[in-house]
Amino acid sequence: MNKTILKETRPALPIERKTVNKIRWRENAVAYMFLGPALLILLMFLVIPSIMAVYYAFTDYYLLTPDLRKFIGFDNFIKLFQDPIFLKSLGNTIKFVVLLIPLQIGAALGLALLLNKKRKANAFFKVAYFSPVVMSLVVISVLWMYLLNPNEGMINNILAHFGLSPQPFLTSPKQAIFTIVVVSAWQGAGLQMLIFLAGLQNIPEDVYEAAQLDGMNKWQRFIYITLPLLKPTSVFIFITTLISAFKLLVQPMVMTQGGPVNSTMTVVYYIYQTGFTDRMVGYASSIALLFGTIIGLVTLAQRKLVKEDEDH
Amino acid sequence: MNMKRLMLGSLSLLLMFAVWGCNKSESANSSGKKTVTMWVHVSDDNEEGKVYQKRVDAFNKKYASENVEAKIEFIPRSGNGGGYEDKVNAALTTNTLPDVITLDGPNTAAYAKSGVIAHLDEFIKDQDDLLPSIKQQGTYQGKLYAIGVSESSVGIYYNKKMLKDAGVDLKTLPTVKDPWTWKEFLELCEKLKNKYDKPAIDMQLQSKDEILSYALLPFVWSAGGDILSENGKKADGVFNKKPTVEAMTFIQTMLKEGYTTRTPVKQAFETEKYPMKMSGVWTITDLKTNFSNVDYGVMPYPVSPKTKKLVSPSGSWQFAMTQASENKEWAAKLVDWMTNKESNIELSRSIAALPVRYSSEKVLTKEFSDEMNVFMQQLKETGHARPVTPAYPQVTRAFQQTIDDISFYDQNQDIQKVLDTRVKEMQSAIDKAN
Repeated sequence: MNKTILKETRPALPIERKTVNKIRWRENAVAYMFLGPALLILLMFLVIPSIMAVYYAFTDYYLLTPDLRKFIGFDNFIKLFQDPIFLKSLGNTIKFVVLLIPLQIGAALGLALLLNKKRKANAFFKVAYFSPVVMSLVVISVLWMYLLNPNEGMINNILAHFGLSPQPFLTSPKQAIFTIVVVSAWQGAGLQMLIFLAGLQNIPEDVYEAAQLDGMNKWQRFIYITLPLLKPTSVFIFITTLISAFKLLVQPMVMTQGGPVNSTMTVVYYIYQTGFTDRMVGYASSIALLFGTIIGLVTLAQRKLVKEDEDH
Repeated sequence: MNMKRLMLGSLSLLLMFAVWGCNKSESANSSGKKTVTMWVHVSDDNEEGKVYQKRVDAFNKKYASENVEAKIEFIPRSGNGGGYEDKVNAALTTNTLPDVITLDGPNTAAYAKSGVIAHLDEFIKDQDDLLPSIKQQGTYQGKLYAIGVSESSVGIYYNKKMLKDAGVDLKTLPTVKDPWTWKEFLELCEKLKNKYDKPAIDMQLQSKDEILSYALLPFVWSAGGDILSENGKKADGVFNKKPTVEAMTFIQTMLKEGYTTRTPVKQAFETEKYPMKMSGVWTITDLKTNFSNVDYGVMPYPVSPKTKKLVSPSGSWQFAMTQASENKEWAAKLVDWMTNKESNIELSRSIAALPVRYSSEKVLTKEFSDEMNVFMQQLKETGHARPVTPAYPQVTRAFQQTIDDISFYDQNQDIQKVLDTRVKEMQSAIDKAN
């Protein structure tokens, strides 16, 4: 009797496990099926090319002679650090990032605060501020080129109205990069504004009411309630804006072609130029690899700093 | 189980699609017909493309009895040659190049050196009919690799009425036989600037692309200088020499005196704001179709007062056969056909393009306007191809940046120093490429 019971129960266990596994596998299979196309595309257009680029960075791959490429070790990287245009483009990119981040995020936060009240006109303003984000960067760049034209551009006309002398903007090696910063911030701020708005609307109203009862003024409420509670949103915005700022390409490509005197040459633009115009795919890959590493390190450092901040 | 099969099935289907997409190989022709394939960089609905299609049809008609068929594929290029060149580059890695391709003039050396295109000397014996500038452009290390689709040139367009109003006697203006020196040209600019209180000429200095090298290199050549040595291996000690300094000084003077500007008003010549514009032969078409009320003439390049030698730019896209072609004889025949007298004439009649052969030029000069003939004569007698080097992209960019540098004359007083810096970029690119 005892034996039979044992016999009956024991084999039952593995079967049960099997069916559980089977069900789990089935669930997983469905999940993988949905993931499949996306994973395949990611594999083909992101993972494999990235691995290939890492390999190319150590070769002398010339675009027209793909079969003759050979491994040359760190030669590309040694040359890189002696390449004045690369160093200049790296400097320009860092300058751009450092100038853009406070401007764009500040503008986005300011706009979000302005729009975070229930007013009828706000829907219109939301759309208005967001519209540059959905427009093509090329279109925006061309439009701004008209506005900034030193001879007949609207901006110089407005300046003239106020008795200011016309500015060269994009045609001056000193002003070009600042001009691109302003145009980029104008274009990009709308997106961060929406994210900030969502963050602001998540802050419960009663916290403000409590603070008001405690006698906090508007400024204090902003500093001690709004800002700290917006922190998770800000971290996200900071990191994404930073990464996209590093990738600056279209605006200088369309508006200045990297000039005047290389003052708006950015790293990504230089990668494009060495790889596709000069056909030095190996060299371009080595810039891409180095630059990718730099962005990775900056992002890591940033996350670490933010985390430490949270511990306090 | 069923689910697994479904998943595997759909995955392999996806993979199949992916592989199929990459592996579009040409199927062998069953009827034993020889097919010669050709890629061109224009679209099939523009004037140039239409002429190519017509000429391919004529080719097929002529050789129908020999069981040969040429096929043309239109791959329009975008602004700087992208799109089309990307496709050629991709075909290189997958070994799917056609028999005949088009390529931009300055790419000859890179394509020839890399073994993308094959030389035509074996197949095309009669090369004496070709203009010297076309041979120069298509030749790499003594062998002819490519033949120009058409020719082009740059000259100085002037507004007849504006010059007359400024007191210039149009009969005294320079001709190809009797060009003006830089000094005489500066005097004209001074006169026009004083009269209109605006820059006298738009030299397209705002553009940062190939037009800068194309239009301004002749000043260096006129001064007796060059950008690269004869064999294309040296820039250092060639470019950074006195003649280049003289040419750059001339350009800088034009800017300093306000005769020209880095920031010209858009279409200033076409809308009769500036009296002159330095531009290519293609501007004739633009003026004819869009600004027909401008009464203009064309004068040749001004020349260095020391050498008095007139030099003008030349060059265009070309046809060449690929090394990968399995049908070299017919591929070469097609290249020859697409650039022969009839093709030349047909193309020149449909767009403002200059012919590449003496035989077609003889016919066309009778049909051309006076302005077109200034370009034609200047090209025939003084046309100079751009340097033939695999490092051309870097060389031309360094030249364009030299112009950029010297145009900020208050920061770059010392032209020699600018040249010495930029020539290093050229030289290191050349050393790497050779």
